[in-house]
Amino acid sequence: MSDLLTAEAYAEEADVRRFPVLRAILAERSARTGLILVGVVVLAALLAPVAAALTGHGPDQQFRSEALAENGLPIGPSAHFLLGADGNGRDVLVRTLYGARISLLVGIPATTLALVAGTAVGLVAGFFPGRTDRLLSLGTDVALSFPFVVTALSLVALNRGGDGEPVVDPVLLVVLVISLFAWTYFARLTRGLVVVLRNRPFVEAALSIGVSRRRLIVREILPNVLPVVAVYWAVQLPVNILAEATLSFLGVGVQAPTASWGNMIAEAQRSSLYQVQPWFLLGPGIAMFVTVLGFNAIGSGIRNVLDPQG
Amino acid sequence: MRRHIAGHAARALATLLAVLVITFAMTRVAYRNPAAVLAPRNATQETLDGITRALRLDEPWYLQLWHYLYRGPDIQGAPMGLFNWPPALGYSFRQQRPVTELILSKIPVTLSLALGALVIWMTLSILFGVAAARRPDSWVDRILSALSYAGLSVPTFLTGILLSYFLYFTLSTYGIRWFPSSGYVGITENPFEWARHLALPWLTIAVAEIGIFQRVVRANMLDVLGSDYIRTARAKGVTERRVHFGHALSAALNPIITLGGLELAALMGGAIVTEQIFGLDGVGRLAVEAAVGGDFPVVIGTTILAAAIFVVSTFAVDVVTRLRDPAAR
Repeated sequence: MSDLLTAEAYAEEADVRRFPVLRAILAERSARTGLILVGVVVLAALLAPVAAALTGHGPDQQFRSEALAENGLPIGPSAHFLLGADGNGRDVLVRTLYGARISLLVGIPATTLALVAGTAVGLVAGFFPGRTDRLLSLGTDVALSFPFVVTALSLVALNRGGDGEPVVDPVLLVVLVISLFAWTYFARLTRGLVVVLRNRPFVEAALSIGVSRRRLIVREILPNVLPVVAVYWAVQLPVNILAEATLSFLGVGVQAPTASWGNMIAEAQRSSLYQVQPWFLLGPGIAMFVTVLGFNAIGSGIRNVLDPQG
Repeated sequence: MRRHIAGHAARALATLLAVLVITFAMTRVAYRNPAAVLAPRNATQETLDGITRALRLDEPWYLQLWHYLYRGPDIQGAPMGLFNWPPALGYSFRQQRPVTELILSKIPVTLSLALGALVIWMTLSILFGVAAARRPDSWVDRILSALSYAGLSVPTFLTGILLSYFLYFTLSTYGIRWFPSSGYVGITENPFEWARHLALPWLTIAVAEIGIFQRVVRANMLDVLGSDYIRTARAKGVTERRVHFGHALSAALNPIITLGGLELAALMGGAIVTEQIFGLDGVGRLAVEAAVGGDFPVVIGTTILAAAIFVVSTFAVDVVTRLRDPAAR
């Protein structure tokens, strides 16, 4: 009976400890705004095929006879093309919606991959001072020193097989390139946290009763580090979404005809067609802004709740 | 202190060496046959083999690396290795010029771009950050923080396009030609034209950076303003302006210097997007063109340059923050 009571008390305490944070985050103004914005973007990504089906316009389909005027210039917004068309007569709205998919499909896996790799490196570096730490920290420094875009360009060249065809899928390559740079931030963060934790009495206590180091790292230290790292994931995600757009803008990321906000904006700029048809630029531009703003707002909302000083 | 600096310097050198070896290996695999790039279109296999031999591309990679470091490709007879005096970074296949010379010719553009942007974004961030920290949660704070969020959430390329659309294209349709669309004029030639040509690129970079820095300044100011010595300063009658800009700002400056140094280093490695949009012929553009065109000595050179600038500024930031911090001195 008493066991049951304490168990219940524990459960209740856990509830109180866990849910107020979540509730506080949901109550925080900027986090809530961010969640709404991101919700809209996710919905847009999910509903992209529906929009394509409703309008009958595939994302890469060209409607030169309907969407281009006689002089070859794209038409503006109309009942059939809500945001007008681009230079190839493709539906800007449908492409913008499909762009949301690419943005999330690159940003989320890249950030997660970076989190996993960086946290692993940081755990080991922080836990084993001396040579292991020095070597891993040097590795982190080296990765940080590479200039992002130029290295990405070299990696794209590296990806070209003997016949000129890419070896791995270009979208996958963008994910890999971004995580190749982003893991360093997670590694530094985790290492710093672990160095502090390592000197706490519970580590010594666990080691003295014969807990294996692996178990100690995975079962004791990792759970202590994970919340902070998870918050940082939310902070890093919009940065990586922008990185994908930048690479695609420069022509090294997601390749045409696949719609990405970056390569859509690049096309609008290169052809200067946005001067006649602003939605060609504004569609992907606003979508990009809303997405990044939404994630930034969530990130700062979480930080406001967890760490009111910062 | 001295030992710490020596240790950091050794680490910086090791980092650079690792970057060099990795870039060298990577470009050697990525750009398979530079001989084909160099040779005329209808070259025979014999010519290709000759070029391959002349560039020592048939040797194992470690000999190539050694050769690169020590002598460089001696196309014109003069040694051009990194470990030579004067140190050089090899010879561009495409442009038929020494890489060091190419980079040096582009550096003024990138340096003007980065430093000018730094001055603008730091001034505005500090002003906005202090103004926001003065009355947290007031309408001033709300507006400034909304603006900095917006700056943070717009990709540089979009800012650049919008600025050039509104401030160049739209204005010029009304006959107002304040800003040119692209190009660069050296500061020694005509300082006014220099600033006029760089105004929009500076603004483009500054918008994104203010998004980051305004919040950092604000957060650090709030942190410092809560401390005892600020209360003491106020109690003894120091004016509010001096409290904010003198006492508090100077204490809040460390993280701003750290972050500023790193951002500046990243920009010096090539503000590639900004250079591209405004047609500035800087280091970033050089690097991108080389990477696209398979001119790997230039790729290696610009990568090393960017890494060196990054490593040196991390080092400098470390030294400066230590010098400013009495506890660590």
